[in-house]
Amino acid sequence: MRVVAAVLLLVLTACTSSSPPPVRLRVLASPELVDLAPVLAELRRATGVELAVEHRGTVEASRSLAGFDLAWLSSNRFLRLRGAEPALSASIMTSPVVLGVRPGRRAVLGERPTWADVADRAAVGEFRYGMADPRVSGGGMAALIGVATAAAGTGAALRPEDVSCDRLQGFLAGRAFDVPDPVAELVRRSSDDTVDGVVAHESELLALNASGRLPEPLELVYPRDGIVLSDYPLMLVDPARRTAYDRVVDWLRSPPAQRMIAERTWRRPVDPAAPRDRRLTADIGTALYFPDRQEVLDRLLVFHDRAGEGRQVVFVLDYSTSMRGERITALREAFASLTGFDRFYVGETVTIVRFAGTVLEERSVTVRGRADLDALLAVVASDDLRDNTAIWGALDHALRLARGETAVVLMTDGENNAGPSVDEFLRVGRGEVPVYPIRFGEADRAELDRVAQASGGRLVDAGTTSLPQAVREIRGCR
Amino acid sequence: MQEPEFRAVDPRRRFLLWFAPPLAVFVAGLVVLLVTGHVTGPFRSTTVVRVMLASKREFFQDEQVKQILMARGYQVHVTPVGSRDLAESPDLDSYHFVFPSGHVANERVKARREGKHAVPFRPFFTPVVLATFREHAEALRRAGAAVAHDNNAAPLFYDLDLDKFMALSEQRWSDLGLSNNNLVVAQSPDPCKAYSGAALVGFYAAALRDEPVQSLREAEELGLLVKPHIAAQGQAGEDMSPKFFVPEGRTHAVIAVMYEHQYIAYQLRREQPDRDRVLLYPTAQHQSTPELISFTPEGDRIGELMMNDPQLRRRAVELGFHPLGWSGETDQDFGRVITEHGLPQPPVGQAGRVPLPKAEFFERMLDVVGDCR
Repeated sequence: MRVVAAVLLLVLTACTSSSPPPVRLRVLASPELVDLAPVLAELRRATGVELAVEHRGTVEASRSLAGFDLAWLSSNRFLRLRGAEPALSASIMTSPVVLGVRPGRRAVLGERPTWADVADRAAVGEFRYGMADPRVSGGGMAALIGVATAAAGTGAALRPEDVSCDRLQGFLAGRAFDVPDPVAELVRRSSDDTVDGVVAHESELLALNASGRLPEPLELVYPRDGIVLSDYPLMLVDPARRTAYDRVVDWLRSPPAQRMIAERTWRRPVDPAAPRDRRLTADIGTALYFPDRQEVLDRLLVFHDRAGEGRQVVFVLDYSTSMRGERITALREAFASLTGFDRFYVGETVTIVRFAGTVLEERSVTVRGRADLDALLAVVASDDLRDNTAIWGALDHALRLARGETAVVLMTDGENNAGPSVDEFLRVGRGEVPVYPIRFGEADRAELDRVAQASGGRLVDAGTTSLPQAVREIRGCR
Repeated sequence: MQEPEFRAVDPRRRFLLWFAPPLAVFVAGLVVLLVTGHVTGPFRSTTVVRVMLASKREFFQDEQVKQILMARGYQVHVTPVGSRDLAESPDLDSYHFVFPSGHVANERVKARREGKHAVPFRPFFTPVVLATFREHAEALRRAGAAVAHDNNAAPLFYDLDLDKFMALSEQRWSDLGLSNNNLVVAQSPDPCKAYSGAALVGFYAAALRDEPVQSLREAEELGLLVKPHIAAQGQAGEDMSPKFFVPEGRTHAVIAVMYEHQYIAYQLRREQPDRDRVLLYPTAQHQSTPELISFTPEGDRIGELMMNDPQLRRRAVELGFHPLGWSGETDQDFGRVITEHGLPQPPVGQAGRVPLPKAEFFERMLDVVGDCR
């Protein structure tokens, strides 16, 4: 009998002591996942798998996963664009990219803003925010894509031709800082009232608010359109580690782990049945369709890198008497309607040159706020129309004003009848400044087109497209 | 008479009296565990069966299915992969069986196993559907593209007129009265990889042209017509079903292409039906009859269990599949389980069936639509 009992006991212990051997996996993870430490400690206790984590921004990490067993990034979309997405991938939790705004500044953005509204306020210097560098961080890139998609307004995924720099420039003009960890930077600057908010994951902002590290909690703003939801897939990079990977995924998706993730890290569980805090039930709005070409992201970064002070646009406007009446009204309306982030943006220098037979007025403003834009509108409102049209003389004058990266917009309705001829004008080397003529009325199409082509600009015909539309097209940069 | 012996104070007997009840509990527990398949005893060996699966992994990853198979002596080790990748996988031969979701992948796998062991089983089927939310289905109904299929005040199933739906693809949801500026398009997994994504291409192609294409050139031409409807969604996702069912499902996709079984399984797991999430059935359907294709005797055994084992077949229904008999006949269990849970009968098999183009032509069409490879 005792023998039987002993055998049975042996069998039972053999069955129960089959817990797997300890394993250590090298994991490349997004930086915001440092907050998972307590969850990973529990994972190790429960499964024997230790995750040795190295943190790197999602966009940067997506360039190469070499040397790691697993990757745990905010998204696998950047890898998929490169055709480098690991075959096994399991979403563990989600968190949207949103804005955290100081309560005192919340009203600036309006009730339920779109990314376009945010960019609009940023462009005129009314909203200043911090964000992570989109060359490195998934959150930063998500914000750029959101703004660019909203700006394109196609309702579809961004194509390379939809990415236009001025729209991004307006948004980026409001950027107060661009650091790897914008949330920590905001805390450091908590007494600096020139910073109004930060672009980050909902999870980071809810955790910040719960930590009491800020004198006043931030208000979370979920842009009405263009939400990017990070879904934190855990990916198997080295297929040889499959067994341990399966154990980790199974545990992380189990109800206790999902609950722990929601409670400790403020991320939304992927298990529909997992309980969640009231703050994790906020409606997060419409997703954007994510671009399917790497080229789109590359183009966004080109424009991002060009952002900053020192850009200039010169408007050369025809105030000859033939403009009187409807045409000058249309010109003024076109200016007034340059709303939203098609308008000029903070840090940009805008110059207006009014001309007829000679240059009538020249005014330059470096935009710091709405008052500067009003000053420009006052120049355009002038009723001072004179005889003759010296187009090429005025354009020559404008090109001499160009400093750094400049574009010139020329609006005219007539033929040149004073000053140098177009041939004389083109005989002089003009450098790199593109000229965008907007033609209306009797203006000489062939001449304007020659100058546009020679400078690297483009002719826009106000007869075939509306004037505001034409100006917007030009503001789309090269 | 042996009476005195009972009175004797025998230390062995005292030990046994103390030991017997807990021992009985141990033994009983062990038997239960062995029978239900939670553990395998020393009496029976477990065969590990390696399989490659597309969407049907949800069946083999189900805890109850695992237990039933464990009790029969099998542990199924699942490698999930899209159907098309599955069919092209370089290590295809290293699996005991594979279970792609659609006919193109089925044919491709069989072609690659030419002359080798390749036994097909068809244990169940499930149609490809468009899952959406009530307000979006109602917007489509108002726009004339969808019709409620069941008579409930809050119907769960709608018939979708694909011609009319495709005609809406240049409109925004905001044009249909919702606060969403995105174009009215369905989001699907990558047609280059997943059968459900490919099926959507098939739906659109059939809506644009009555007869299946007969040549590569026709396939390319039709592909170019379908392409804008698929391309507007940008980067295609992976399997859409898990994310569609979380509270932020609308932020993942407002129309997600998936399998009916994923939706039915979700509804059957709940106490009350979720009336916020509904299905759109294209009026011209083609049904996915996934084939379990076995490469080994172990694979054959799993296939036979799938066809014959009452417990496995009951569980398949609970996971939302329509079971099929050996000669392809449907059985009544599906309707009974659905009705018991207060769900209406889905419009499966009632609408016209659309023939898909030949695999060769269909693959070319997919390559054109998805810029595959």
